[in-house]
Amino acid sequence: MRKNWIGIPAIMILLLLPSLSVAQGDDEILTPVDDNLSATVADNSVTPDETELRPAAGEQLEEPDPGLDIPGIVTVQNKPNDAGDQLIVSFEPAVNSEGIVTYNIYRHIAEEEGEDTWNLVKIVLAINPPEFIDGYDPEYPIEPGVLYEYRVASVNADGDEFFGPVCTAEVVSKGEWFHTDKTRVLIAGLLFILLIFYYFGKAQRGTKMYLRPIAGIEAIDEAIGRATEMGKPILYVPGISTISDVATIASITILGRVAKKIAEYQTRLIVPNYDPIVYTVAEEVVKQAYLEAGRPDSYDPDSVFFMTQSQFAYVAGVNGIMMRDKPATNFYLGMFYAESLILAETGSLSGAIQIAGTDAVTQLPFFITTCDYTLIGEELYAASAYLGHEPKQIGAVKGQDACKAIIMSLITLALVLGILDLVANTHTLNWLRDLVTVSIVE
Amino acid sequence: MKRTVPLMIVMVGGILMIIQYFIPHQYSLIVFDNYLEWAPIVGAFALILGVGSLTRLHSHKIRRRAKNWQYSWAVLIPLFGMPFFALIMPESLGGGTDVHGVHDFLFMHVQVPIQATMFSLLAFYIASAAFRAFRAKSALATVLLLAAVVVMLGQVPIGAIFGRWLPETGLWILRYPNLAAKRAIMLGVGFGMLATNLKIIFGVERNWLGGAGK
Amino acid sequence: MGAVNIWEKMLNLDRRWIFLGIGIISIVFFLVGFGMPVTTTKEVENIFDFVNELGPDDAIFIGFDFAPGTQAENMPMAVAVLRHAFHNNIPVFMTAIVPLGQGMAVSALNYVTDPAIDGHYERVLFEDWADYREAGITNREDIIAAWERDGNVLPEGALGWVFEGRDYALLGYLPLFHLVILGMTNSIETQFPVDYHGNPIGEMPMLKEHKSLRDVDLAVTNAASGACTYWITYAREKIGLPIAFGVTGVMATDYYPYIQSGQIIGQMGGLRGAAEYEVLLQENGITATTDKAFRGMDVQSAEHIFIILLIVIGNIAYFAGGFHKKTRLKGRG
Repeated sequence: MRKNWIGIPAIMILLLLPSLSVAQGDDEILTPVDDNLSATVADNSVTPDETELRPAAGEQLEEPDPGLDIPGIVTVQNKPNDAGDQLIVSFEPAVNSEGIVTYNIYRHIAEEEGEDTWNLVKIVLAINPPEFIDGYDPEYPIEPGVLYEYRVASVNADGDEFFGPVCTAEVVSKGEWFHTDKTRVLIAGLLFILLIFYYFGKAQRGTKMYLRPIAGIEAIDEAIGRATEMGKPILYVPGISTISDVATIASITILGRVAKKIAEYQTRLIVPNYDPIVYTVAEEVVKQAYLEAGRPDSYDPDSVFFMTQSQFAYVAGVNGIMMRDKPATNFYLGMFYAESLILAETGSLSGAIQIAGTDAVTQLPFFITTCDYTLIGEELYAASAYLGHEPKQIGAVKGQDACKAIIMSLITLALVLGILDLVANTHTLNWLRDLVTVSIVE
Repeated sequence: MKRTVPLMIVMVGGILMIIQYFIPHQYSLIVFDNYLEWAPIVGAFALILGVGSLTRLHSHKIRRRAKNWQYSWAVLIPLFGMPFFALIMPESLGGGTDVHGVHDFLFMHVQVPIQATMFSLLAFYIASAAFRAFRAKSALATVLLLAAVVVMLGQVPIGAIFGRWLPETGLWILRYPNLAAKRAIMLGVGFGMLATNLKIIFGVERNWLGGAGK
Repeated sequence: MGAVNIWEKMLNLDRRWIFLGIGIISIVFFLVGFGMPVTTTKEVENIFDFVNELGPDDAIFIGFDFAPGTQAENMPMAVAVLRHAFHNNIPVFMTAIVPLGQGMAVSALNYVTDPAIDGHYERVLFEDWADYREAGITNREDIIAAWERDGNVLPEGALGWVFEGRDYALLGYLPLFHLVILGMTNSIETQFPVDYHGNPIGEMPMLKEHKSLRDVDLAVTNAASGACTYWITYAREKIGLPIAFGVTGVMATDYYPYIQSGQIIGQMGGLRGAAEYEVLLQENGITATTDKAFRGMDVQSAEHIFIILLIVIGNIAYFAGGFHKKTRLKGRG
């Protein structure tokens, strides 16, 4: 039904084709599109009538330019799962594609009139499929709820344009309230969240849960005690990442507990920071810890400070502190990169007890080699639960384990299916892959 | 109150951002765009605080003539000197960030070599750490040691002297056993992140707000 | 007893001797290069082939996401890709995730366009060809034709012209770069209204053709930190932009899972990765010779051998001294 009315201009265009076949490239009328394919119609003084119905100029008949076949109707669909700022546009390419290099697609708001209202929104190479998603060009955005008109021009190597019919979009763009492609993410997310909450509840109801002892965490108190006995400071390095990094947040939570203990023992704490936001949080955490330990007067405002946001300048600064102040204990907890070994080896040279923890997998070997204790990956996140012994925290660790069990089951299943596919020549693994793969590319 | 308000902000913000992820609508986009605009602004203010902290710390040290106070000048002078040369000093006197300015000279001839020196320490420390760490103390440690030797030789041209098998074995170790181990740790880390984020959003973990909690 | 002492001494060798050994080997092999052949791996070949397929209608991002500290490793890979892009006339956007990366980008550009180096590209600044732009000449070949018509001659030893705003744009650094990447998926100009030198981005022909990351074909991030994964999270996963990594040797092992999952097209790992790219450039006639990374491989070879020797010595002392029979040694070493 929808295509019926479109058929009328289509027939008219077909009737006009013979006249186009004798039309010639006329540079005086047609301003060529910029070779770099970026011109807009505003730069183009041509009108559709001029391009479609150019009279054959007698004196140029000696070298006839047959012109180009024009593209057909344009079909517009609303793009699902967007903010109402995109439309799927497809057009019928010219029947005879000879000489066509690209198609230029123009758009304007349906109510607007005048040649300068048309904007070139896309150039599609003739060899490419005749469709695209409109709305990506930041200069010509699609407004939700606005009706647009489109027209497509065949373009030859000289940049001459031969316009097809003006087509009004059948739909207006509108935003959706749920991204259907993310359903699987939602289900998996909800499942994992529910599992974690289930264990939260279970822990709060008083169910005893076993946590594997982690030597590095148990050594924290001992390390603080050692520094106190030696009368030397404790250095706490919260990594070189931002506050949005979970490793940094985990480090800050541990800092709170370490600082409280330090406040009780009246030992000196040094916290050099790489990131200014982390610095402000760390300062607040330490201040609060001293307050909770009942020793706000012992808090030294110079103990937590921002150093630099340059990786190796930070290393130089921290190493300098190690060599000058000779801290008895060094904590490296958080996110680390290439500087990890330089820090830890210098700390080892200065004779300090060192406790490291990071989820930066590549840096783990360096810490394991040079530090006395190392928290590996998620052990860092779990440290807070270990130190606080709060039921909810322990529940979260158990919830994490349950989530991992699901993933491990899926991996095992994939392994079995993979072997089955090999032996029985089936395609069961693809089924599983399709089930768990989420394509979120817009 | 001092803790409740930030906790509420985190909870509302966190849940909002989770929900936003599933809603492509323009209203949801507005929320997200606003976040994109605000985050750098907050970050910029934190930088001011950071520079303030560094200045305060070192000016205290200088004022109190604390131990090694002279080094504090080495921090403060470049801290303000470099922005001065880049942003305040007129270009006619060598200011600005162009190639022939003072800022560029200091960057290329002081900062670059100093930082490169710091990074190059890694080569020395890796050698020393490898010497102490790679001992065939057990069967597993021996496997680790052999893998390390094969990868190290495979990664450099001289490894090819021993035959094509060596670099290829080295690459195989990187592409498969290494990948498997990384992925396992990454999965654990991923769930750890999820749990930590949930704990923060729902206020189970509050220590990051200050203090050690209970 | 005496023998045991020797083994013990060997085992507890003062690390300063090791440092001295590394120092001497680095200097000697840096000065006396052997030019040992570097074989290429598919991780680097994939990046090379991808870039090689691109042309003037495409565009790439090169991220100088490292500070001067790691320039020994990261700079040669960035320079190699930059040369490749200039050779194929691919417009290049240069950005930095870290503040000092901006200086690194300037440095790389100066190096590739240094007239003192044979095989350089002759740079034409944005303001120097303003007249042609105003006259509506924005096509690369037309610009060169007009430029040379006006009496400009390509210097001897230069491989071609590069016009600022047509062939490259130095966008530089912005804070919270992950948000910048996210913003650039919609519009590059809204994130960078002006470039590093203050030139209006909107007037650059290459930006008019590539308005957002959706119009870009590849981003090569040369990084010394996990910030390189920003490109995956915010560009690859959102709009499907192909990403390639150039990372330090220490980090290289971290990103193999991303290669296998297809999230990055390839990776240059450390000096070795950069040397491989240089070899590919030379083999394909894009550059006449290899560069700094290839030269550095001799030093790296020697150092690896030295470290392996140390490990062997350590183990000989460990077993010969009978330490394997004893309980755990002091420390964790």
